[in-house]
Amino acid sequence: MYRIDYTDLVGGVLLVALGAGVSLVAIQSYPLGTLQRMGPGMFPAILGVVLGGLGMLLALQALRRTGKRPDIRVFSPLFVLAGVASFALLITPAGLIPAIVSIVVISSLAELRIRPVSLALLCLALCLMAPLVFVVGLGLPIPLIRWPF
Amino acid sequence: MDFFSNIGLGFSVALSLTNIFYCFLGALLGTLVGVIPGLGVLAAISMLFPLTFHLEPTTALIMLAGIWYGTTYGGSTASILLNLPGTPANAVTCLDGYPMAKQGRGGVALFMTTVASFFGASFGIILLTLFTPVIAEYALQFGSAEYFALMLMGLVAASTISEGSAIKGLAMVVLGIIIGLVGMDTQSATIRYSFGILGLLEGVSLIALAMGVFGVAEIIMSVRRVKTADIDPESLKLKAIKPSRDEVRRSWFPMLRGASMGSFFGTLPGTGPSIAAFLSYAIEKRISRTPERFGKGAIEGIMAPEAANNAADQTAFIPTLSLGVPGSATMALMLGVLMIHGVAPGPNLISSQPELFWGLIMSFWVGNLILLLLNIPLIGVWVRMLTIPYHILFPAVLAFICIGAFTSGFSPLNVWMVFAFGVLGYLMRVFRFPGAPLLLGFVLGPLMEEHFRRAMVLSRGDFMTFFERPISATIMALTGLVLIWGVVSAERSRKRQLLSEGEVDHTPEATDRPT
Repeated sequence: MYRIDYTDLVGGVLLVALGAGVSLVAIQSYPLGTLQRMGPGMFPAILGVVLGGLGMLLALQALRRTGKRPDIRVFSPLFVLAGVASFALLITPAGLIPAIVSIVVISSLAELRIRPVSLALLCLALCLMAPLVFVVGLGLPIPLIRWPF
Repeated sequence: MDFFSNIGLGFSVALSLTNIFYCFLGALLGTLVGVIPGLGVLAAISMLFPLTFHLEPTTALIMLAGIWYGTTYGGSTASILLNLPGTPANAVTCLDGYPMAKQGRGGVALFMTTVASFFGASFGIILLTLFTPVIAEYALQFGSAEYFALMLMGLVAASTISEGSAIKGLAMVVLGIIIGLVGMDTQSATIRYSFGILGLLEGVSLIALAMGVFGVAEIIMSVRRVKTADIDPESLKLKAIKPSRDEVRRSWFPMLRGASMGSFFGTLPGTGPSIAAFLSYAIEKRISRTPERFGKGAIEGIMAPEAANNAADQTAFIPTLSLGVPGSATMALMLGVLMIHGVAPGPNLISSQPELFWGLIMSFWVGNLILLLLNIPLIGVWVRMLTIPYHILFPAVLAFICIGAFTSGFSPLNVWMVFAFGVLGYLMRVFRFPGAPLLLGFVLGPLMEEHFRRAMVLSRGDFMTFFERPISATIMALTGLVLIWGVVSAERSRKRQLLSEGEVDHTPEATDRPT
C-alpha cells in the first residue's frame, strides 16, 4: 500500500500530457473553423481538452487516497513485444516461415524457461498449419520463404 | 403477413449451405475459445476476422456472431470443471457449478447449463426478432442531434457503469475517439495525426487495435500465471448426465427469470451478459426458500445465470442492428466489421439489407441448435482442450494474431500497429484503465464527429440544439443521470473495496519482478 495512489497519479499526468499534445497539434496544424462550419481541427481540439481535464481529475483524486502497488512486469512484455516486432521486420524481406519461427521462439522466452522439444514441435506444427490455412486454403499471396541477400 | 415473409427470407439465407457451414465453424471456434481460459472473445473475433475477408458480409457476420455466442456456451465448461471462468460472463457459474462437479455431478451441470443456454438464447432471439424492426422504424425520424446524443449516452453508459473508475472509463472513450481521428477527414480531406506515415491515410486498423489491446496485452498479463488444468476424470461421469426429476422441476423458473433479466440487461449499453448473470444469481438466491444451498451446488445457481448471459448475448444485437449504436466492445467490433465490409449501420439497415438482417437473426437459431447438439456429445473433447498447456498456446496465438494483422492489408505496418497497441494495452493494464471503452470510442468516434458537425451546421452553431429537440433532450437528460449514478456508485464500491481489503493486502501481485 502507498500513502497516495501513485498509479492513478502517473496515469492522470500522462493523460494530461497526451490531451495537451492532441489539442496543440490540432490548433497549430489543422483549420479550426467556426462552430457553425467546423473545420477538421475543432473536434480534436475539444477532445484534447476533455482528455486533459479527465486526466487532471484523476490525478487530483489520486492525491487524497491510498493506492496499491501497480502490477508491473518486465520480462513478459519484453519478449512478447520483441516477438511481434521480429515478425513485422521479417515478414516482407524473409517470408512467412522465418517470421513464424522467430515470433514463436522469441515470445516463448517470456516463460523464462526453454523447452527445446516442445518448442521445435510447435514451430513445425505452425509452419505446416499456417501456410495450409492462409496460402492453400484462403489463397492469400504470402511468400513462404525468401532469401533476403 | 409481412413479418412471416421476412422470417422466410431470413431462413432461406441462413439455411444456405455456405451459411450453415460458416455458422457451424463460428460456433465451433467460439466454443473452443470459450472453453480455454486466457483467450478472450474480442481477441478471437479479431484474430479470425481476416478469414472472413473474402466472404459475403452476411456470411462473415454469421460466422463472427457464432463465435460470440459460442464462447458463452463454452465458457461454462471451464467454470464448472475448473472453477475458472472461460469468459467473464460465466464467472458466476463457478459458484455452484464447481461444487456440483466436486460432488461428481459435473456431467449433470454441463448438460443442464447447455439446456439453460439454449433456452436463454431462444428467448433472446424471439425478442430480437420482434423488437428490432419496431425500434428501427421509430429511429428513422432521428436527426443528427439525436444520433449524437444517443451515441454519447451509449459511450457514457458503457464507460461508467461497467467496472472501476468512471473517470478512467470516460478517459479511455475519449482516447478511443482520438485514435479514430487518425487519417483523412471525410469532410475536408485534411489528413490528421498521420505523422507522415502513408499507410495511416486510411486510419488506424480496427483489427490491429483490438488484437493489440485485447490479444497481445492479455497474453503479456497471462504468461506464467495461467495454470494448466488438472482434471479429475472421476468428476466427469458422462454417463451420469441425466438430471434427476427434482433438478428438472427446480430449473424451470430460474431459467425463465434468468432469460428475462438477461434480455433486459443485454439491450442496455454498458451492462451486458456479465452483469445480467450476476444479477440473476443474486435474485435467485434472494427469493429462494433455501438460500443456504447456494454455493454448495444448487442447480438454480447455474441455470439462471447461464440463461441470462446467453439471452443477453442475443439481445445485445437489438441496439446494434436497429440504431447502429453498439452497447459493448464486442458489438462495436461487429459494427466495425460491418463497416469494413461496406455496409452502413443504422435504422436503414433492415430495409436496405433485409437479407443480411433477417439472415443473421435466423442464423442464430441454426447456431444455437448446432451448439446444443455440439456441446452434449462433445463435452469430453472440450475438456481435453483445457489440458493444452499455456506455454504451447500463447506463442501459437501470437503467431496467428500477427499473420491475421499482416493479411488484413498485406503490409508490415499493420503488424507494427499491433505492436504499438500491445504496448498501449500493457500500459493500460498497469495503470488499470479499461479496454472496452477504448474500442467503443474508436468505432463510434468518426460517426459522432460527423453527426456533431452536421448538427452544428443545421443549428447554426448553437449547442442548445441538443437540448431543444425533445428526443435529443430526453436522451441528454438520461445521459446526465447515468453519469451521476456512475460516478456515485463507482466511488461507493471503491470505498467498500478498500474497507474489505484494508489490511489484508499482502497478496503477491507482481510475480516476475526481477529480484
